[in-house]
Amino acid sequence: MTVTIVNLKVNGVDQAFMARPGTTLLLALREQLGLTGAKRGCAQGACGSCTVLLDGAPVVSCLVPATTVDGADIATVEGLADGQQLSDVQQAFLDGFATQCGFCTPGMLMSAEALLARNPDPTADEVNEAISGNVCRCTGYAPIVSAILDAAERRRNRVEATH
Amino acid sequence: MAKINPIDPDYFKDERAAPGFKVIGTTVPRSDALGHVTGRTEFFEDRTFPNLAHLKIHRSPHHHALIDSVDTSHAEQTPGVLRVLTYKDVPANWYGVLRLIGIGPDDEPVLAEDRVIYKGEPIVAVVADSEAAALEGASRVRVSYTELPAVLDVEEAMSPDAPIIKRAGTNYFVYEGHHSRRIRFGDVEAGFARADHVFDWRYSSAPIEHAPTETTGCIVVPQSNGRLLIHSNTQAAFFTLDNTALIINRAPTDLQVKGGTVGGGFGGKVDVMVEPLACIAATLTNRPVKFVYTREEEMQVSSPRAAERIYIKDGVLSDGRIVARKIMLYVDAGAYARHSPYGATKAAAHLPGPYTIPNVHADCHCVYTNRTPSSAMRGFGVTIADFAIESQMDRIARALDLDPLEFRLRNAYRDGDLKAHRKVASGTALIEVIQRAAELVGHELPEEYRAMSSTTPRGAQA
Amino acid sequence: MLTEVHVPDDVAAAVRLLESGATPLGGGTSLMPLLNDYASPPTELVSLRRAGLAGIHLDGATVRIGAATTLGQVEHDPRLAILDPVVRSIASVPVRNLATVGGNLFAHQPHGDLAVALVALAARVTVVDGGTHELTVEEFVTDPRGLVTEVAFTQPADGSFKYLKAARRRFNSASIVTVAAVIGESAVRVALGGVGNQIIRAHAVEAALAGQPLTDETVPAAAEAGLSELAPVDDAYASAWYRTRVFPVHLRRALLGH
Repeated sequence: MTVTIVNLKVNGVDQAFMARPGTTLLLALREQLGLTGAKRGCAQGACGSCTVLLDGAPVVSCLVPATTVDGADIATVEGLADGQQLSDVQQAFLDGFATQCGFCTPGMLMSAEALLARNPDPTADEVNEAISGNVCRCTGYAPIVSAILDAAERRRNRVEATH
Repeated sequence: MAKINPIDPDYFKDERAAPGFKVIGTTVPRSDALGHVTGRTEFFEDRTFPNLAHLKIHRSPHHHALIDSVDTSHAEQTPGVLRVLTYKDVPANWYGVLRLIGIGPDDEPVLAEDRVIYKGEPIVAVVADSEAAALEGASRVRVSYTELPAVLDVEEAMSPDAPIIKRAGTNYFVYEGHHSRRIRFGDVEAGFARADHVFDWRYSSAPIEHAPTETTGCIVVPQSNGRLLIHSNTQAAFFTLDNTALIINRAPTDLQVKGGTVGGGFGGKVDVMVEPLACIAATLTNRPVKFVYTREEEMQVSSPRAAERIYIKDGVLSDGRIVARKIMLYVDAGAYARHSPYGATKAAAHLPGPYTIPNVHADCHCVYTNRTPSSAMRGFGVTIADFAIESQMDRIARALDLDPLEFRLRNAYRDGDLKAHRKVASGTALIEVIQRAAELVGHELPEEYRAMSSTTPRGAQA
Repeated sequence: MLTEVHVPDDVAAAVRLLESGATPLGGGTSLMPLLNDYASPPTELVSLRRAGLAGIHLDGATVRIGAATTLGQVEHDPRLAILDPVVRSIASVPVRNLATVGGNLFAHQPHGDLAVALVALAARVTVVDGGTHELTVEEFVTDPRGLVTEVAFTQPADGSFKYLKAARRRFNSASIVTVAAVIGESAVRVALGGVGNQIIRAHAVEAALAGQPLTDETVPAAAEAGLSELAPVDDAYASAWYRTRVFPVHLRRALLGH
């Protein structure tokens, strides 16, 4: 069994760690880099609790062997806020009571961030599709969808304000 | 932004001390939300420990079988395996979680001894220095069985010729010498004799899995003072602590449970399923030990909401008054009691629903079958009974060509009514809720029904 | 137990590793769930992520898609608009960003909706398996093996490709009935998913529709003719009975839009 050195840029910071063959990107982030925001809910790619951005695209990190993405750019929930300043999506989730137990929240946030990066003015239906891989069992989907739409509006207003 | 529902000040004006509330109707930020949106909320598995060992289970593939032999030698020889546990390693193997409130007998082994009575029952635990090695070791345990006929239906389990699957001698929980939790109020047969119509229908439900996004699990860390620190996602920290102490035969003061952060529970994390074995493994290996269910285990062996079967027989007068209700209710506890004896009691306490009925007879059975043990889930005992009762109410209304809301208002309990279990009803408000709901959906009620009030005593005619 | 993960830089290296007994890993969406939670014999994986197999090429009406192209890349390529409803009917966004076009040809029914569409499109697949072969996707999916490097098809005439997947939920659920069809002036091709252990080429439906206009009379008649070709099974998503019962409805919706 070979142990491999893996290099990643995580939330803008260069990181290197040792990975066994069975180390998934999720376990590497959680256990090697101490970034425990992404969660292991199923290890089957079905719940979305482990969603992170891999080179900008949301992926279920539980299904990615860490050694296969050497050199990649990874974004996790820990990188969303700028110091004390929450991102629009984070703030909208906070204000809109879009969290309950909090276990799905990091994955949900990353899916939402990826959607808004690609589509700044989504419809509710497009939000539903974007979070269709993220399971919330406290069944807070309605406030989550509202919060993402609210975040989109905040972002658009911010862009307008700076022009 | 958060949606705030307006407060309806029209009802129960006399009971309000002062206008306005301090909290209700205002937006109060959740104390935990900042941690949730920044990913800093610490769930049990978010803690890492050097030298962490992992525990995995070898489970029964049969619903009901005698265990002829268990061979753990291949598991023990698996690279990375530290320890293999059988029932002999569990100091007090037989337990029942409700013994803490005086309910027995202890009917469940932590690890199976001479038999298994449900598919997925744990038999051997394997502790290894990696998750993969623990999985490999557990897969190498060899158990030989003699299969026995399984009982998978509650009424079949109650029949006299069913095989007895429980060591206590009955396929049902015994309530103070009775085969069920009973309600006897008035004379139900006299009520049926007086009724203009009798309706006798059957309702049933399937088990329901909570499917929390975070699976059941814990990490137990031996402390330098000899105590065990249990990081758990249990919904019931002290309940878990006391039951674990009894199972591992240690003083409760030897254990500390750190919990309270639960990634979805819904009642599914109140059984004590992972902590005792993790404590034993941590003690024997003197290493931190993690025992967390895979998603498949969570689906297959974590206790679901019980399947129920409910027969309701109602005697109704032509004017819509229910004069007798007889209920036979069966809770499928699965193989072991866990919280189900309490659930069946709750079902009885809820009957005959929020209606004032002069003659009530109910038998609520907590039945054992060779299915996955069921246990607590959001309103267990009550939710399915309500489904049955309210379905019954709709069907009777339809059969008698009555408006379903008027039929409910006619029978709705009121403050001061004596309920079937001899409690005087208070704060009922059912009448007002139905009236307001009717208004909101534009369902016209006749003046007679709009004038009803839950605080006005029931007249002789009502 | 996973013992090694190779990440070769080219196809030749990947082929050498596969010939030595390693298992190919595309997006990992089928294989990794098994390796994460279950004991397995010692397993070496060959990740195709860097083997140069990703990419979408159009040459006139000919479309060539590298096997390691993700479903997400297909979804976001405006040149492949006809496949947009197909890939968006599969799994969820964070799974589509891993799952590959080549991997979809190995998915077991009732998964593998892209493969259903590719059968209808008369797509061809390039496979390295002791030599390089080209064969139809329809042939390949009956016994998928070897290293898929590319799929290719000819873009059908505008409006002639029809696709509908019926599932328990609108997003992220396996197929109950999937219908993919190319309704050409000279030929009709219909492929079905969700109604058998294998993708079904609905020859009887094609025969019934050949040379016919699509109408409220011809399509139900074709569905009736197609019933004998279905071989549905019960699973957690739907019973065989249900799949058979609703097949005519979904064929009608796919072909007539109502």
